[in-house]
Amino acid sequence: MENWTQRIFLAPCRHVNGVVKRLFFNKELTNMRFVALLVAMLSSGVFTQTSLAQEKPLIAPDVKPQVVDESLIDTENFEVGGFAGVINIEDFESSILLGGRIAYHLSEHFFFEGIYAIAEGGETSFEKLGNVQLLTDSDRDYSYYSFGFGVNTPGQLFLPGNYTFNTNFYLAGGIGATTFAGDDRFTYSFGAGYQVLLTDWIALHITAKEHVYKVDLLGEEKNSFNSEFSSGLTFFF
Amino acid sequence: MLRKLITKSLTLLIILVVSSAVLQAELVWAEQIPVDAKLAKVQVTETFVEWRSGPAEGFPVFHVSERGEWLSLIRRKTDWMKVSDKSGRDGWIKMADLLLMIDGSGEKVNIVEPQFDDFNTRRWEAGLMSGEFENAAVNSAYAGYWMTENLSLELWGSQVLGDASEIKIINLNILHQPFPDWRVSPFFTLGAGMLFINPKATLADQNNRDEETMNAGFGLRYYVSNRYFVRMEVKEYKVFTNRETNEEATEWKIGLSVFF
Repeated sequence: MENWTQRIFLAPCRHVNGVVKRLFFNKELTNMRFVALLVAMLSSGVFTQTSLAQEKPLIAPDVKPQVVDESLIDTENFEVGGFAGVINIEDFESSILLGGRIAYHLSEHFFFEGIYAIAEGGETSFEKLGNVQLLTDSDRDYSYYSFGFGVNTPGQLFLPGNYTFNTNFYLAGGIGATTFAGDDRFTYSFGAGYQVLLTDWIALHITAKEHVYKVDLLGEEKNSFNSEFSSGLTFFF
Repeated sequence: MLRKLITKSLTLLIILVVSSAVLQAELVWAEQIPVDAKLAKVQVTETFVEWRSGPAEGFPVFHVSERGEWLSLIRRKTDWMKVSDKSGRDGWIKMADLLLMIDGSGEKVNIVEPQFDDFNTRRWEAGLMSGEFENAAVNSAYAGYWMTENLSLELWGSQVLGDASEIKIINLNILHQPFPDWRVSPFFTLGAGMLFINPKATLADQNNRDEETMNAGFGLRYYVSNRYFVRMEVKEYKVFTNRETNEEATEWKIGLSVFF
């Protein structure tokens, strides 16, 4: 005969019921059943008390509360990369330009950048026609460095096939120096660029720039305007 | 009778123990943060927080998270944090919003932003400057470490682009600012270094010269925002030559610097 509690809690496992019956209702174990009951009550009482005191769950979760550790968060304010393009060195033809760029982003709008690039100057028309040499080969090595400041305006690029990329159009200006024709000259540069973020940390750049410095190679001093068009790839870290 | 009583009391006991255990465990599991253990988690405490598609105000808001939602922190760019929620979408939220949230400990998110009046967040600084060195253009870069609130050690590299020569200068300077709490803070500096003089190829005297030099100067720092500042300074150089008289040069510069 089963009552409703037995039906609910003990019916699915008869053998447990059997053990309980044997333990508690066998006359030979009369004393034991009291001991067992006592132990059960005491232990459960102790259990409840300790669990209340320490406020610990019976089943301890294996994940501890996480505190945000700032040093573990990946920050990506630096951008480093390379570029290739063409530079028109005034009077000395256009040449392939190779360079590197590092940028530090102060905020969503502003960034610092440092750029170094190399090229090789060609021949002037005068040299070609007159069959003379104005510069030695080593003096034709052209390089510049520039550090400056830029302003970003964010946007998005939508391409066919449901591709969306974040972009930045930026204006940048800088100062630095140009080494060419055995001379180091203070140089201003200014220009604009378009940055397409392929992922959060890889970006494609297309830039157009002007570099201005004074030269006195041909006697009188004049401004040399060098236009640069380049494209590059940068990585944030 | 007794048998029924014992059975009932035993059953009740089992129910109590099991149910209390289950209840406690459930409570704990319900409060527990999502299981993806690699990323730090924060919980939204404001009514809602806006998500943008990129790390700038110019990008559109495309989603909001409500109070109580847990967000995983993926990466940070300037003042924006990329987050994801339990449904797997990701987007960018403002740091200012993030700093109002709580983490797994129930405390506010412990990210210390560099602040003008917090010395501990601005031990390192670096900057780029430009100006004039005896009527010739000069470009400089430096890095400095603040040993105390008042004293810092700086390493300088400069290039002077003169008409007659190109000069490279390396300096080690010690800098003292008496009023570190002022937004516009004056400073004094003393330094020593080397000058590497490289005359132009077109000049007759093409011998390179290396000279020792010392400098003293003063300047101002103006804090634009918590991370960056404008700096301007004047330095007087004494160049120790092998000739009978030593040379002197005055330099002024202005530039931008950043704290790390």
